[in-house]
Amino acid sequence: MSVAATGDGSAAPAAELVGVTKRFGPVLANDGIDLAVARGEIHAVVGENGAGKSTLMSVLYGLHRPDAGHVLRDGKRIRLRSPADAIAHGLGMVHQRFRLFPELTVAENVVLGAEPVHRGAVDRAAARRAVEELGERYGLRADPAAQVGTLPVGVRQRVEILRALYRGAEVLILDEPTSVLTPGEATRLFEVLRTVTATGASVLLVTHKLSEVLTAGDRVTVLRQGRVTGRFDTAGTTAAELVQAMIGRTLGSAGPARSTTGPREAAYALEVRDLSLSDRDGVARLSGVSFGVRPGEIVGIAGVAGSGQRELIDAVTGLNVPGPRDSGQVLLGDAPVRRGRDPEVAYVPEDRHGRGTASEMSLAENLLMGDQRRPGSHTGRLGLSRAAVRARARDLVERFSISAASVDVPIGALSGGNAQKAVLARELSRRTPVIVVEEPTQGVDVGAQERIHALLAEARDRGQAVLVQSSELSELRALSDRILVMFEGRVVAEFSGDEATEALLGQAMTGATTGATTGATPEATPEATPGATPVATSGDPA
Amino acid sequence: MTTPAPGTPAPDTTAAPGGEPRDGGPSPGARVLGWARRIVLSTPVLAIGGALVLTTLVMLAVGVDPSLAYPALLRGALADGNLEYTIAAFVPTLGMALAFAIPLRACEFNLGGDGQMAIGGVTAAAIALHLPMVAGVAVVLPLAAAALAGGLVAGLSAPLRTRLGIPAIVTTLLISTPAVAFASYLVRFPLGEQGTGIAQTPPLPDATHLPALAGSSYVTIGLPLIALLTVAWLYADSRTVLGYEIRATGQNRDFARYGGVAVNRLAAVTLAGGGAFAGLVGALIVLGPPYRYVDGALTAPGYTFTAVAAVLLATARPIAVPFAVALLTVLQVGGQGMEREAGVPSQLTQIVQGLIIVIVAVFATVRHLRARRGAGA
Repeated sequence: MSVAATGDGSAAPAAELVGVTKRFGPVLANDGIDLAVARGEIHAVVGENGAGKSTLMSVLYGLHRPDAGHVLRDGKRIRLRSPADAIAHGLGMVHQRFRLFPELTVAENVVLGAEPVHRGAVDRAAARRAVEELGERYGLRADPAAQVGTLPVGVRQRVEILRALYRGAEVLILDEPTSVLTPGEATRLFEVLRTVTATGASVLLVTHKLSEVLTAGDRVTVLRQGRVTGRFDTAGTTAAELVQAMIGRTLGSAGPARSTTGPREAAYALEVRDLSLSDRDGVARLSGVSFGVRPGEIVGIAGVAGSGQRELIDAVTGLNVPGPRDSGQVLLGDAPVRRGRDPEVAYVPEDRHGRGTASEMSLAENLLMGDQRRPGSHTGRLGLSRAAVRARARDLVERFSISAASVDVPIGALSGGNAQKAVLARELSRRTPVIVVEEPTQGVDVGAQERIHALLAEARDRGQAVLVQSSELSELRALSDRILVMFEGRVVAEFSGDEATEALLGQAMTGATTGATTGATPEATPEATPGATPVATSGDPA
Repeated sequence: MTTPAPGTPAPDTTAAPGGEPRDGGPSPGARVLGWARRIVLSTPVLAIGGALVLTTLVMLAVGVDPSLAYPALLRGALADGNLEYTIAAFVPTLGMALAFAIPLRACEFNLGGDGQMAIGGVTAAAIALHLPMVAGVAVVLPLAAAALAGGLVAGLSAPLRTRLGIPAIVTTLLISTPAVAFASYLVRFPLGEQGTGIAQTPPLPDATHLPALAGSSYVTIGLPLIALLTVAWLYADSRTVLGYEIRATGQNRDFARYGGVAVNRLAAVTLAGGGAFAGLVGALIVLGPPYRYVDGALTAPGYTFTAVAAVLLATARPIAVPFAVALLTVLQVGGQGMEREAGVPSQLTQIVQGLIIVIVAVFATVRHLRARRGAGA
């Protein structure tokens, strides 16, 4: 555990945050944080959700002004009143959600806001050249003329990085950059970042994936509850040390045990038969998907974002809007799923703010949603009894150990982990035969992750059928009895939980599966010819 | 830390203007101050206060003595003989406020109150004139029919919203004008009083007149009726499943849909419910003095948009709606008294109202931007 010196050896750090304190109402998000990023290093910032990483990065990028403390750039104190100031000082940010215009080309997106001008008009040729030159220099190849909306996620991210570099960024801030990437793409990203730092630029990498930190980072700063709890050189540290600094204790054993009594014989609680769906424009989103989930089993769904997981889950929960060329069936037991929202399916959506909660409504009212029309303890003599709704909520808060000041606070005031626990509490308490969970631990701290995994395992052991979609392969491997891999609207591979390695899954996620898996669905294998590139697969009609 | 501290506080060169380091420590007195600030800086208080300050400045600028104008305004609204008019104006304004507030809870904007009210009023008049009336229930039928008609007019916007994606704020407003014109046509020709040349219906039969409250000639049973319906709405909003689902839909449509709420149907229900209140207000006006539909008499006082202003001022807190309506009604009726007594044009009160809306809107926008910034962090 060698604590790195502040890098005063030769030159001033490329960027330095000194004593940064930021308070949001009663919450002390950052408490006197010092952080120095040396020139040419990849500096990782890790911490649980709510540890203050995002706030700190927002301070560095001019989105928040600190209550105390200041920012130094090459040893000189700078004032950041807006992202424009940050850009002017050579700070660039790649957000978790890309801020690109899908309709515009790569070149147009890169130069947007700082277009090269020739005789009063945008010089498109110069823009293209600039993109090509930058791409050449940093190994960030992207076709300048390609329309961004048509590009894979990994390439879009490259466009974001190119944009920051084009604006002269010498300190690149990347917020959870690999959350949308396949393992292969992530590896390529880190190669690119190495090239970038080789030119003397610096990278600040905000992440919660410790394996990335250890392989890609030079130094790590660990935050917990708004304070720095550890500074490490990655060369001399282990994941266990980082976890301890992150959560202040060591983790238990490697997650919940998988079900040992795999219910191989039981009838499916949830069955999808040859499901094909198209969107409003008639573009196929799902093609011939078939699988089943038995009671007492957790089935995982892996895949690069946008491979049809969202559409599949909307169909399974009954929330999808029927398209013009849909076919196939979703069955719950023997009955087709009910449209609108089937009360037999519990559903924990990925988009906690957009779908899973109404952030300005109280915790109690959020915990009621879905049960409001079910006769039960929340009804009084003349309709909804507020006292009963609160009592019901307090019961859930206690059972699922959600920490909240009261059940009357808006759910938006809760931390990510607690909000997620609230959504889980609401859905799991319903004891439905089928549970569908998207990204069970996204934006949730390590401690809460354990608890959430345990809850899902409990549900499975009670005999509920659980379908889990996650972009965390380690999570899927820890939880699932079986893992299905989706690619371009198809289930292209199926692994048992034991045999699925990250390498196998990662390969299948790119569509380049070899079909050398035990349980691969027969209809999936014909497309998945060995060595077929993703592009070739996408061409054939549904 | 690393920068050498300058010996003098004088700014070095260009640097940052006024950029001395602020120490962000909250002092003990600040807490009391912050508490007081939260009340004083609440949107309604600031909006009303700001509007009054600006209005006073306008008065001074045009040479009116505020110390005469404001008492005249209050007397105009609340003095013995005038209070009756104020209450008579309060009833339709409160009704129209509900017409706007009910759909607003589901985040649908009903700006077509005028049309819904006119159609409601003309329906009530037609039924009162042409259906044989049984004494006792004679007022009930026109009232109910008017509510239904207003609900249908507003309900037209629901499928346009849910199937074609045209926001209700646009369609309600666009449907309103032809609806008012249609009512106007009916009053001029098929329902009009023959031989007078005035666009109005003949007087309605006595049995259909709304009974006046004791001791008053202008305040009818419309007041207790609207008061009762307002209480019913407040109850439904906070204590029923329907109210909960409407609020959830307004807060986050996707969340409500995810929770199994039929959001499209609810949008239609709230729009129709709002329209029903507007239609009912039309009937209350027509069945009250002067007991006939006079073309333009329903829309001319501007109840609809005074009501919109009141609801905005209440910043979506249902319980505050009646109070905001009362305040704006006092301003409006009092404005006429002010004109008589102090010679101040009554339009000045419309300036106050307009300023209130502008200030509320500015606050809403600022808050929205701040929230977005906070969420982006």
